[in-house]
Amino acid sequence: MKVAYFSPMPPEASGIADYSALLLPALRRHVDVVVVKRGTRRPPRGVDLAVYHIGNNPEAHGWILDALRRAPGLVVLHDFVLHHLVAGVTIGRRDGHGYLDAMEREHGVVGRLLAHGVLDKRIPPLWESRPEDFPLAGEVLSLATGLVVHSRYVEERVRAAGYAGPVAVVPHPAWPDPEVAPAETEGAPLIGSFGNVNQSKRVPQLLEAFARLRAGHPDARLLLVGATSPGFDLDRRLQRLGLDGEGVVREGHVDERRLWSLMAACDVHASLRSPTMGETSGTAIRALVLGKPLVVSDVGWFSELPGDVALKVPVGEAETTELAAALTLLAERPEARATMGAAARALAGSAHDLDRVAELQAAAFERTAGGGAVDAGVLHEVSDAAAAVGVAPGSDEASEIARRLSELGLG
Amino acid sequence: MRIAVLRPQVPFARGGVEIFTDELVGELRARGHDADLVSVPFKWYPGTRVLTQAFLWRLLDLEEADGRAIDVVVATKFPSYVVRHREKRVWLVHQFRQAYELDGTELGQFGPSPEDRALRRQVQALDRLALGEASRLFATSANVAGRLARSTGLEAEVLPHPPQALPYRTAPAQGFVLSASRLDLAKRIDLLLDAAALAEGFDVVIVSDGPDRERLEEVARARGLDGRARFEGRVSPERLAELYATCTAVYYAPVDEDFGMGPYEAFLSGKPVITTTDAGGPLDVVHDGRTGLVVAPEPAAIAQAATWLREHATDAEAFGRAGKALADEVTWDRAIARLLS
Repeated sequence: MKVAYFSPMPPEASGIADYSALLLPALRRHVDVVVVKRGTRRPPRGVDLAVYHIGNNPEAHGWILDALRRAPGLVVLHDFVLHHLVAGVTIGRRDGHGYLDAMEREHGVVGRLLAHGVLDKRIPPLWESRPEDFPLAGEVLSLATGLVVHSRYVEERVRAAGYAGPVAVVPHPAWPDPEVAPAETEGAPLIGSFGNVNQSKRVPQLLEAFARLRAGHPDARLLLVGATSPGFDLDRRLQRLGLDGEGVVREGHVDERRLWSLMAACDVHASLRSPTMGETSGTAIRALVLGKPLVVSDVGWFSELPGDVALKVPVGEAETTELAAALTLLAERPEARATMGAAARALAGSAHDLDRVAELQAAAFERTAGGGAVDAGVLHEVSDAAAAVGVAPGSDEASEIARRLSELGLG
Repeated sequence: MRIAVLRPQVPFARGGVEIFTDELVGELRARGHDADLVSVPFKWYPGTRVLTQAFLWRLLDLEEADGRAIDVVVATKFPSYVVRHREKRVWLVHQFRQAYELDGTELGQFGPSPEDRALRRQVQALDRLALGEASRLFATSANVAGRLARSTGLEAEVLPHPPQALPYRTAPAQGFVLSASRLDLAKRIDLLLDAAALAEGFDVVIVSDGPDRERLEEVARARGLDGRARFEGRVSPERLAELYATCTAVYYAPVDEDFGMGPYEAFLSGKPVITTTDAGGPLDVVHDGRTGLVVAPEPAAIAQAATWLREHATDAEAFGRAGKALADEVTWDRAIARLLS
């Protein structure tokens, strides 16, 4: 089977580009994949299925949405909330009407009015202030002949949004262990947080919780790796918490090798998020590969991590207290860190095993490409047989047959 | 207990599963259970027939029969486990292997078209669902359990079953290698014939029948094995037991076999088994240099093994005795106790 593959690819700076680079060699062992060039408008001729990787970043995925609009196909949905993407391909292209229409289509007149407020700068951009309330995934779902998602959370969201096509939940693949030497970074323990430094990564809560931990564990260090988002005043926060001295180790954007090396140096990884766009965290997957215990927000995909690899912190009033308790527990119990780390490594090698993930993706591709014909064939054969013995449409017997077919996902 | 043993039946075919299920019913009855065989014809082609034939099982109501509850159903192979029942136990002989490890091989069924690919995936999805419903899940061998775990993530307990009841006995070897497998391509009886053509130190006796018989007889003729390779077709239990008792070794080398009763039958006759490194289930009990010889799936290696066993009669007898000790452990009493526990 031949598949046209629409995805950001390296060297583009995108987590999904990294994802595709990791997955493609394994995927090619199952299906014939043609990776289209950035900007391609239609799938090439002769392919059995077009696969579109859709995420919330308009820079990386705008052109892919354009192609999806021309030729529906299977969507690998990396985020459920696509408001930023939709804003990017409308407002970002000076198509305010497109944004108004998108908001009205999915959220009615209220949505249109709010969109007017955004365009007129009367209210903050909704993709920043309330994206989870206005996910704007409807258009993508309407064009998807099948979906691959990475979590049951997103599966539930798309079903709740009325999507009736085939959905396959396929975990994010794990990278092979790069076996890098840990970076020489002090900290006993060293807590790591990787990714953009901002509110949605719960950095304020993390800083406060870490300050509490450090009061009793002065050798503890917090490693913050990633760019600081505009408007997030990290320095002032550090100052206020007394962490502007030696408590926090700061690195900006780093290359892949340095990233692994820094991650390997950490004793505990904090992978926090709220609100969630329905995304999976590539850095959390890397932490599993390295056999590191995780502290995560109890939201979305993060909630689905097994309890033996991650301590889950509910978002809300008690968040900082619970986060501090989780960090303290792991700081004081190296044996718990070791046990969780071993479970993390085992999880990376099982549920997230690259070959397994590729097989699951290929299965989803194949079912989407040919499943309609299979369903039609089954229905035709069963209904012919039923009619031949006098089972009338709408009869109890026909209902029983339909119920049993549905139970098995047939027809 | 009232127990229904479920068996898909390919009309006119009789092999290991048929023997196993017949014996299971008999053994259950012998232990006071009210057991019966429920069989539905199975045809797996063309196109979606594999699914619609599986669906027949789903329409069956086996919760009760003639006003009396059926306590347990025991499904055995695809698609019998698609049945609905509150106490569905699966003693898995095999899944629909064309949808798994045989895909893309000459024994596969599904082509490269999107429809065929999707059909294969639908069979896999059906397996995950139907086997996932089972209240207990057993597999006849570690090989079957391993395949199941890899393909569906479901864990099965390994529960081998005894081979067919024959008047097993042991007698001095008469210099021939016996094959008692069904004559089809997957059993690789060609390898044995090719081996016999390479080494003159042993004869070959081939019993049983199957779709490949004519071709195999032609292969034997073409290899000049007239007089050294004898096809006896289906034989009586007494004759089969006699052949087992008097052979030098039993050849049993299917490709990635599920379970295979052949080694157990050989062992109960005190005979060693020649198998191959890729045979699958038989490797649970055929251990190289202990209960038989495990060699590369090549005629020369098989010829060497057969010759060696003939020339080392004492070792061959010791292997047979060790195998018998293993086979004696696999009893219906133990198997049924676990099945119904």
